[in-house]
This record gives sequence, C-alpha cells and structure tokens, in this order.
Amino acid sequence: MTDMSKTFFKVFAFVVATVSLYAYVGQLVPQFEEHPPQKKVITPLTPVDELVAAGQDLLRGKGGCLVCHKDQERGNDRGPDLRQSAGKAAARKPGMDADAYLIESLVRPDDHLVEGYPKMMPSAMKPPANLSMAEVKAVVAYLQSLGGAEVTMKVLAEDVVAEKKASGPVHRGKALMAEQGCIGCHKLEGEGGEVGPELNKVAERIEPAQIAQKIADPTLWTTQGFQAGLMPPRPDMSEGDRQEIAAYLAGLAGKNYSPTGATSPWSHEGVRLGVVIAVFNIVMLLVLAWARRREALSPDPSPAGGRGETNAGAAS
Amino acid sequence: MSQATTTSAFQALKGTYRGVVKISLMLAATYLVAQGLTSILPAADYRSLFGFSNRTAVWIVAELHLMFAAFVLGVPIFAFITEIVGVATKEKRYDDLAREFTKLLAMAYTLTAMLGCVLLVLFIVLYPKLTGYLSGLFKPTWLLYIVLIFGEVILAYLYWYTWDLLQGAAKKWHLLLGLLVNLWGTALLFVADIWVTFMMSPAGIDDANNLVSLWDAINNHTWMPINIHRLLANVAFGGAIVAAYAAVRFLNAKTDEEKARFDWMGYVGSFIAIAAFIPLPFAGYWLGREIYQFSEQMGVSMMGGSFAWLWILQAMLIGGLFLASNFYLWLGMGRIPGGERYTRFQIGMMIVLTVGFIVWATPRSIIASGMEMAAMGGSHHPFLGLFGVMAAKNTAVNLMILTTFFSFMLYRRGNRIPVVAWATAGKAVQALVIAAAAVVVVSYGVYSYFVPSITRIGFSVYQVSAVLAAMALFVAIDIPLLKGASVIGAIRWGRIPGRAQYALFFMAVSFTWLMGLMGYIRSGIRQYWHVYGRVMDESANAYTMTHGHATIIVSVIVVIFFLLVSAVFAMATRHDDGKGAGA
Repeated sequence: MTDMSKTFFKVFAFVVATVSLYAYVGQLVPQFEEHPPQKKVITPLTPVDELVAAGQDLLRGKGGCLVCHKDQERGNDRGPDLRQSAGKAAARKPGMDADAYLIESLVRPDDHLVEGYPKMMPSAMKPPANLSMAEVKAVVAYLQSLGGAEVTMKVLAEDVVAEKKASGPVHRGKALMAEQGCIGCHKLEGEGGEVGPELNKVAERIEPAQIAQKIADPTLWTTQGFQAGLMPPRPDMSEGDRQEIAAYLAGLAGKNYSPTGATSPWSHEGVRLGVVIAVFNIVMLLVLAWARRREALSPDPSPAGGRGETNAGAAS
Repeated sequence: MSQATTTSAFQALKGTYRGVVKISLMLAATYLVAQGLTSILPAADYRSLFGFSNRTAVWIVAELHLMFAAFVLGVPIFAFITEIVGVATKEKRYDDLAREFTKLLAMAYTLTAMLGCVLLVLFIVLYPKLTGYLSGLFKPTWLLYIVLIFGEVILAYLYWYTWDLLQGAAKKWHLLLGLLVNLWGTALLFVADIWVTFMMSPAGIDDANNLVSLWDAINNHTWMPINIHRLLANVAFGGAIVAAYAAVRFLNAKTDEEKARFDWMGYVGSFIAIAAFIPLPFAGYWLGREIYQFSEQMGVSMMGGSFAWLWILQAMLIGGLFLASNFYLWLGMGRIPGGERYTRFQIGMMIVLTVGFIVWATPRSIIASGMEMAAMGGSHHPFLGLFGVMAAKNTAVNLMILTTFFSFMLYRRGNRIPVVAWATAGKAVQALVIAAAAVVVVSYGVYSYFVPSITRIGFSVYQVSAVLAAMALFVAIDIPLLKGASVIGAIRWGRIPGRAQYALFFMAVSFTWLMGLMGYIRSGIRQYWHVYGRVMDESANAYTMTHGHATIIVSVIVVIFFLLVSAVFAMATRHDDGKGAGA
C-alpha cells in the first residue's frame, strides 16, 4: 500500500468515525414519527359523538391548534386555554351567541382578541390548516364538549358542499383551458358560452382519459344535442397539458385523476430547450472559428507556439 | 474542465466549448430520458424507484447536488478575492493560491451538473404531478435557469483556461471574468432558490393555487433570506472543503516546500470558512424571523415543535466547529516565532469555549424516565433547565464568537511587536473593548431571565451588536497598531503537527453534516405539504420520520459526498504529480 493510500484510509476512517458520532447522537434524542391527519367525512348526519371525535382529531392534527393552545393540563400557553373557551364564549362579544362567537374565533380570529394575547392566529379556513366549514364546526363541537356543556353545533348541508369545493382541483387545467379559449364555447364554473356542452360535470359521464383523447381528436364523438365538427382539433397541445385539463375536469366532478405529466420531446418545452442548446453551440462555434482565423493570421505570441495545451505550472 | 490552462485564446475557447458540448449533451439526455420514462410509465401522482422510497432517493441526490453546487459557487468567490489580493499586494503566491482553488472546481463542475440532471429526472419521474404544477407556475424561470447554466459554464471554463493567458497587462480582463463568474453563479443560486422557497412560503397564487403574480411567487417571504444565507454558507463550506484538500496534500507532502505550500493553503481555507461562518447565525435569525412572519405555526414547529431536538444537534456541531477552529489556531501558533507569548490565554479561552458548548447543547427538556421526571418536578431540570432557554444559549454563542475572534487576533499578532508610540494605550483599549462586549453579553443574558419573552427576544440584537461593534473596533485599532511592527521572525509554514490537519478534516465533516441537517430541517418543516398549506403530500412518505432515521440518512449523504470529493482531490493531486513527473 502506498503512503497516499494509507493517508486516504486514515482520513476516511476519521471521516466515518466523526459522521458516526453525529449519527449516534441523533439516536439519543427522543424518537417519534408524525403522520399527516386522517381524512374524515363529516356530514349533517354525523352523530354528535363522532363529530366531537372528528373535531378533536382536527384540533390536534390538521388544524395545528396545539402549537399554541392546550386542551388538557399540559400544553402550550401562547393562546388561551381551550378547555374554557366554550364556557366563556357567550360573554366574549356582546350581542353574539356562543356558537357564532366560537365559529368567528376560528374563521376570523382577528375580529376579537382575548385580552392578554397578541394578534398571531391565522384563520382556520386558510392555509396551512385550510379547514372546511364542516370541519370548523366539528372543532367547535369538540370545544363545547371540553367544557362538559351540551354540544349544540350542527353541520348543515351547505357546509358539506362548501367542503367539497374547497378540496377541489389544484391542477393547471383551469389556466390551460382559459389559455386555449375553451370557455368561449363551453360553460365552466358559471362562465362561458353555450356552443358546446357544459363541462362542470362532464367527468361524471366520461372517463378523464377519454376527455384527454377528445381534446386531441374532437371527432371521436359528439354530445347529443350539439353540432358535430365545430370543435377545433388541438394536435399541438402536449399530452401533459391535455391530461392536466382532464384532471381539472375530473376534480370538478368530484373524481380523483392523476395526469401523467408526460409530454412529447417535440413539445414547447423540448423545442425551447433545443433552441437554447443550439444558440449557445452555434455562438461558441462562430467564436472558435473567429479565434482560429485570428490566430492563423497573427504572429505566434505564446511560448507554446499558440497551439496545444501547456502545463499550468510551467506557464506560471 | 481539463486540468490545464492554456496560453492561446483559441485553445482556451476550445476547452470552453468542450464544456458547452458536455452540458448540452447532459441537458438533452436528461430531457429525453425524463420524457421517455414518463411516456412509458403508467399514470401516477407518485412513483417509487424500483421499490426504493422516492423521498429518500430525491433527498440524497438533491442534497449531494446542493453540496457540490455550494462548493462550485463558493470557491470562485474567494478565489476571485484572493486573486484581487494578489494583484493589490503584487505577491505571486496569492495568484498561485487562487489558481489552486480554481483548479479544484474542475471535476466538481461535472459532478454538480451530473447530479443536477439525475435530480431533474427523479423529480419528473417520481413526482410527476408536483413537478408539473411547479414547472407550469415557474415556466419563465426554467428557461432563464438553462441560459444561466450555459453562461456559468462558459465563464467558469474561460476563467480557468485563460489563467496563464491573461496575466500581466491583461490581468484586468481575467479579474473581469472572475467577477462575471461570481455574478452569474449568484444569479443561478437565486433562481434555484425561487422554487425551493416557494414550496416553503408560497405567495402569488390564488385560493385555487393558480398563479396571480409571478414576481410575488418569486419574492416570497423566505427567498431573499435563504439567498443570503446560502451565499454565506457556500463560502464557509467551500473554505472548509478547500482546507480539507490542503490537509490531505499536507499529509502526503514529500518536501518541506510542498508542506509549507499546503499548510498555508489549509490556513487560508480554514480562515475563509470561519470568517464566513461567523455572520451566518445573523442570516439565520433573519430567515427564522421571516418564517415566523409567514407562518407562526411553521416557526413554532421548527423551533419548539417536532424539530426542536435537532437544534441540540446543531448546537453540538457548531460547538465542535468552534473548538476545532480554535484548536487549529492554537496549534498553528507553534509555527510563529513569538507565538508562545500568547499560550497563557489558551486555557481561559478553552474554558469559555467548553462552558459555552455545554450551555448551548443543554436541552430545555431533559430526556428522563418517569421517576426522574417526578424527582425533578417536571421535564425541566431545576438547575440545568435554566441553561436550556434562548437567554443562556444566545449568551453562550456570542461569547464563543468573541473568543474565537480574540484567538484569531492573537494569532495575527503572533510574530509582531507593535512599535507605535501609543501601543500600550491601544492594547489596553482593545482589551477594554473585548471586556465591555463580554459584560454587555452576559448582563443582557442574565437580565433576560427577569423580563417577558417579547422583551427578551429584543435583547439578542443588543448582544449581537455589542459583539460586532467590539470586533469592528478591535480591528480598527489593530491595523494602525501593527503598522510597521517589528517582526520577531517569519512564519515557519509547514511546521505544524499532523493532528492540526485532522482538525481541518473535522471542520469539513462538521460543516457538511451541518449543511445536511439544516437542509433537512428547512425542508422537513413543511411536514406533510409539498407546497406549505397549499399542495398536500398525498404519498406514503408524507410523514415526518424519526430524528434517528433522518440523521442516518444525513450521515449516508455525507459519507457519499466525501467519497465523491475524494475523487476530485485525487484528480487534482494526480495532475500535480503528473506535472512533477514530467518536469
């Protein structure tokens, strides 16, 4: 073994030992896993005890309330103690009943601050908690149960509808449809023309993958009651974009659909990348040709004869 | 990038063009492979990598890419500064050192690009839906990024290949290239940070996650703090890796001349690492404040929730770095004639550093059994618990910074005796300045225990300001004080024990591990969100893993990084050996 190899192994052993020490200390601190909150369906028919249980899960999980509050003896004091919140709710804001106050305190927490606490709570219906109204009401039901009082909170049908809409699609499909002018002919989320069928619930009738195919080739079928041949084909639209639109429409119909994200090498992105690569290569080749010509014309300026690589050390 | 510079413009351009061809092929191949795979594979929101966790695969490759990127962006910054110093002082050794730094970039550039390409393929194939959403949102920045990559490759290769060509009167053009490499590299970093910071603190999108304002999405809460934090961290990290390279070369050196050369290089590398490291906590405070302003919940999860224990690990790493850097400086005093005059201060400094380290690494909640907790009256120890709070930790870290600064100042003065008439008064003022800063830091630290938390937070600003002001004042006095100072003897470069080189390795490993850990915390605080609060992670890996599991992955990454970096070092060494053989 050469001296160099010996040094390498000694140094590498030192590196591994140091890294192992840090990894070992990492095992000494408390170990726990944190899992994402479980999704629960809350409806007007959800029994009270289940509503309270769902509220407790939301408060401790998705809502992230315990980051600042506590709902038992041990916990955080950055915000008011939640065990007393329902009991004091009726007296917090003149003219507002307890249920309404509790909902407001979650949805618009800055409207009324409990004395002694700063303005720091985000709305429960905004990110990161992003609770739906049905979920907010479940949390309120849990708060009511904490004080031992009767749980009066009721989930209404419109809260559930709102919940469905709130968890709607996040795909690029909506933007793509606006870009492609689809709503010129189709009605979508209350906007658009009536030349073609309304698309809000189209994915209930047709599979999203077929919708993606239809965009590429509108002659595949025509919905009854509408004139055939009016929809222009979109051969230039990438498969990924068509899949995004299909996923968006699927979301509107309450379905989950995963776009593949696959696009052809000849898509806009591919062409743009190709152009950038070509431009830089062409410019470099032109500069090289210029430098070569200049070097051939000019007298030899360098000790190495202007050609061939020279050793860095020798040059310096 | 080959391991040689040229003396012909044509050859320099030819070498540069080879780099352009290489990156062109890599980008084209990446795009085709990614598109090919996504066309073949069945539709999915998430995919695994042959049964291997997609999260772990992306994590390892992303972190390795980030580490090499940090190296190739950090090294040119101080290579350029060293080159300027060489021009200003007309000392060739600085130009040679800057050249030596730049030489290390050679293979690192290729590795960075390769890892970046693999990462892109993994993103597109393993996270198609998320990648589709982000690439749609930031479409204009992707193109800009590609243009910047080409620009950076051209400038960096030209900077290296024209080193010998652009000497003498043409040096200004080489300096211009160095400046452009750094400006381009910084722009590249800033663009890459857009995507990562948007995922942490999204902005510029409506309730349905559609883009409303691209500029708002770019200029989100954490973008600029992370830009600055990474810029500084890149220099510190680059310095530490360069110092480790010099340490390897020192240990393998066969001649005194070689030992002297690499001893000096190691010293400069470690100095750069520590100098850039000292302002890092301040950049970190800014980032932390922005995180809290964006989301109180995210801030609390980071500092007081799931990730709180990892800060104890961070304290251990930083404490270790302070100890190692001081240890290296003290060993280095042995090569300075007259340095023995300052040995008496080392015990005191060692005590401050050790106590500071212990205080900083003391957790607020002690890990204890039920019986022990009952005996303590809770999870907070009645006495040690006092050191677990930020009041004690801020005091400790400020004193450690002050001590390290003082250590370096003594090193700087090692072989010099001030001869100015006001030398005694000047030194007394310097001592007073250090003492006053320490008194301010300790006083505010103690006072912190008696005021509410909202007031206490403000005290850290006074503590930091006192330390920074003391450092600035000390240096302002030191420069004229040492002007024309009598020199006891020249520094005997190369006369340093081998164990000092292990201090440099320790610093390099600790910096790298620290970078891996901080990267995990930054990314982990998004918890089960891809884009915090907006796009949920619905994969099987959406959970936050145990700290033990995470630290093992960080450790694996660090070991892989050092294996790869060894290849870079071996290439650089082989080049020098080849040169020697040929001479």
